[in-house]
Amino acid sequence: MNKTEYVTKLTNELGHMPYGDVKDIIQSIEEHFEEGLSEGRSEEEIAASLGDPKELAAEFKDGVKFKQIMKKRKMSDNFKGPDGRGRIFVIIFNAFVGIECWLILLFAIIAAFCCLAADLAFIGLIVAGLITGVLTEFLVPFIFLILTMICVAVFLVILLILGIKYYAKGLKSYIRWNKNVWNYGLGED
Amino acid sequence: MKGVLPMNSQIKKGILDLCVLALLEKGDSYGYDLAGNLARKVEVADGTVYPILRKLASEGVVSTYLQESQNGPPRKYYHLTEAGRNKLNAERDEWIKFCGEVNDILSKETGGKADE
Repeated sequence: MNKTEYVTKLTNELGHMPYGDVKDIIQSIEEHFEEGLSEGRSEEEIAASLGDPKELAAEFKDGVKFKQIMKKRKMSDNFKGPDGRGRIFVIIFNAFVGIECWLILLFAIIAAFCCLAADLAFIGLIVAGLITGVLTEFLVPFIFLILTMICVAVFLVILLILGIKYYAKGLKSYIRWNKNVWNYGLGED
Repeated sequence: MKGVLPMNSQIKKGILDLCVLALLEKGDSYGYDLAGNLARKVEVADGTVYPILRKLASEGVVSTYLQESQNGPPRKYYHLTEAGRNKLNAERDEWIKFCGEVNDILSKETGGKADE
């Protein structure tokens, strides 16, 4: 693995880290390569001695986790019993905003599902018509229509996959946030 | 790739922070130098030092500054802060004491005698 490959792999493995942190980390690794090269070592040699980029990325991410744990510990150090205001906030926020938003998004996903089903059924009908010979006129426009419908279907499938993925992710962190407010109150930040 | 023990070992992970602090006690240093010094003595990958340095910097036990080098771009130097020095001294004593206790238990001469 050369320098570019190593840096690319490490950047990819760092994934969701904030841009500033990734930039900082990559800068220090590039500096490491520069130093090694000036000593006459090869890029491959330096990359090998740095260790697996995946493992290294995991260690960098562990550091972030550590920061979060420290923050949480600080929060529980300041903890003075359940915060009534936090609980009232969670209840009111969910009753008027939170649950509604998640329901609307859920309906949007269901609606996309219905569109996809209708789209596929429509394609099926036209194809059946073409095969059985019911449709004899306007063949070219119908074929164009099918192609368009297939594009729409592909688009909807991608939209649904992404939508469901981020819905699940978002819901998970939303619930975590609710729990935090419920247990520790709104806090300073 | 040289034989490098997996870093998952919790004991190693905890104690490496202390090793980096100890290396910095001898004087300010930069990443590449620290990586070499650490990897020469402990069986870890050169890269290991960087996540540790980041963590130590975020805790405020080391500070950083840039300094021109003769060849190439400026180097990022790490400096042990007062808080770092206190942490190092406290944890070093604790570690040495702990090592003595563990060695007592593990050593073949005395180990197991307590059971008899």
